[in-house]
Amino acid sequence: MSKKSFDISSLMQSKVTWAVIAELLILLVCFLIRPDFFSISYQPSTGMLYGSLIDIVNRSAEITIISMGMTLVIALGGTDLSVGALVAVAGAIALKFLRWDVLAYPTPGDYTVCSYILVLAVPLIVCALMGLFNGFLVAKGGIQPIIATLILMVCGRGVAQILTDGKQFTTGYSPFRFIGQGSFLYLPMPIIITIVVVIAVALFTRKTAFGAFVESVGVNPNASKLSGIKAAGVILIVFMITGLLSGIAGLIYSSRIMSNDSNNAGLNFEMDAILAVVIGGTNMSGGKFSLAGTVVGSLIIRTIVTFVYYFGIVAEATMAFKALIIAVVIVLQSEPVRKYFAKRAALRALRKGGMKA
Amino acid sequence: MKKVLFLTLALVMVICVSAASAKDVVIAFSQIGQESDWRTANTDDLRSAIENHPGWKLVYDDGQQKQENQIKALRNFITQDVDYILFTGVVSTGWDEVLKEVNEAEIPLLLIDRLPDCADKIDYVAAFGGDFVEEGRRQVAWAGEYLKSIGKGDTDVNVVIMEGTTGASAQTGRTEGNLKALKEYPHLKLVGQQTGNFTRAEGQAVMESWLKSIDKIDVLIAQNDDMALGAIDAIKAAGKVPGKDIIIVGCDSVKAAFEAIVAGEMNCTVECTPLYGKFVVPTIEALIRGEKFDKTVVHPEEGVFDMNGGIDLGTVKSIKAADVISQRIY
Repeated sequence: MSKKSFDISSLMQSKVTWAVIAELLILLVCFLIRPDFFSISYQPSTGMLYGSLIDIVNRSAEITIISMGMTLVIALGGTDLSVGALVAVAGAIALKFLRWDVLAYPTPGDYTVCSYILVLAVPLIVCALMGLFNGFLVAKGGIQPIIATLILMVCGRGVAQILTDGKQFTTGYSPFRFIGQGSFLYLPMPIIITIVVVIAVALFTRKTAFGAFVESVGVNPNASKLSGIKAAGVILIVFMITGLLSGIAGLIYSSRIMSNDSNNAGLNFEMDAILAVVIGGTNMSGGKFSLAGTVVGSLIIRTIVTFVYYFGIVAEATMAFKALIIAVVIVLQSEPVRKYFAKRAALRALRKGGMKA
Repeated sequence: MKKVLFLTLALVMVICVSAASAKDVVIAFSQIGQESDWRTANTDDLRSAIENHPGWKLVYDDGQQKQENQIKALRNFITQDVDYILFTGVVSTGWDEVLKEVNEAEIPLLLIDRLPDCADKIDYVAAFGGDFVEEGRRQVAWAGEYLKSIGKGDTDVNVVIMEGTTGASAQTGRTEGNLKALKEYPHLKLVGQQTGNFTRAEGQAVMESWLKSIDKIDVLIAQNDDMALGAIDAIKAAGKVPGKDIIIVGCDSVKAAFEAIVAGEMNCTVECTPLYGKFVVPTIEALIRGEKFDKTVVHPEEGVFDMNGGIDLGTVKSIKAADVISQRIY
């Protein structure tokens, strides 16, 4: 009995629990206003399940994927501001390879000028290298992550603009459409890609010692050095992973709209990703991290956006509404609130236990 | 190293000064930057119109979407003592001081596209800008007149308005025009209004939610073509036919919208032209001759393009998109 009461109280102390509670509360409100918010049907024309809940998971794909990397960066005690710009870079490169020269290929259609392997591989490699560049500045240059990644945040979009001559290329190449609009096992492809990425990152960090290395470097780089962990190597890998994941998100984003949008692709994604990680319970000062929490955090952000669209919150109030919900979530997760509820849970369990005894 | 730098700087300044003192009419243009295809077309058109004009010389500055760059550029133009300044500001406020400096230097100022808030406090010789309210009116009027033309003028239809970035002059103007015109077509019922931030991705996401939360949508008014193009994908994903099940009216008239109209997936796009060269050049010629203009904003002539053409909107008649698609350069 006493063991169980301890479990509840520690559960109430966990930030992840509160993130899940917050998400469920928002969904409950949706359900109370319009129960059909939860309706899911099969859409024969696309071969996919169709419903608002599917939309939430589907549209959260980019942020979830990026924030897997962001979780590791934040666990190291840093932040990566360049992820949004890398999304734009990946899209620009992919569309550049699909169309190459818009004057020579004036109409978009179901074709690619370069081999499809290049269309997918080059953006991912470039983004991984850009991530590596971030990591290099941090690990070898000793520059603070927020400053180091600011460089690519500012000039990344410029690179994307130059690649496509400041133009928006459009394509109709169906294998490329498959990434963002296709389906697999009745689910939209972005959801499938997200699941694969989350599992891959989880296995890499939890089934190897890498996750422990990240937490150790995040808590105390010097101590980890003394215990034989190569901090520089860990930092390089984490930033490279984040770059690569931003590239994947960029491909999904540009496949959804079948074009590159260097000005708007990935705009403010760094903020959303950081927010997802923080809501998910990972501390900004580094150390322990929770990938599951981050996934919930990302879902919360998207649920709010979908809520706004679905229930027709007036455009002018959208930002204020989002801010309000997020503020409530953050307060729910704050130390005093969690401690208060944990204490109450423990007390209640104790009283029950005492009565039985 | 420093010396070399100073020498080069000095040399550049000498060249600038000598360029300005040449007999050519020097026209300086402070542009926002390259924020969209529309803006690129706007820049290319004005640049080529001025550069190709005999006896005129263009000093162009790209503000890279930063106000401080544009303020710096305007001050440089004053130091170079250019003959005319063309200006479009990235934001609407905060120009009072630098534009007053332009006035004090007695350089004629021409406002292009986006007018600063302080426009009534400063002197300018001419102003050109899109009529956003009229564009918004045309969007709704086209839908209303089109429905009449297919014999559905008396049936109630549900309309959703996808707005641009909240607070942008194009959004406020077009929304005003949209809402005003809706009053003239009582059978058009407004059932949804939301911002899609002028981007394809958000247009897609907003439409996706609307298709689930609103039982029946007949007409989509999207305040730019990008959002309309995004919405088309969402409509397809919901198993509906864009252009038929839902009538789609966009704005801007970019080439991609023409392609969608020709493909039958979009119904109409109201033009918001970036091609200012043909209005600005004659105005500067007239100014050189000594003519004067009052401070009213000159609106460029703009069309409405749709699938079949011939819809009468009072001020303008729609043109069949397929007939003019080959002339679209942006």
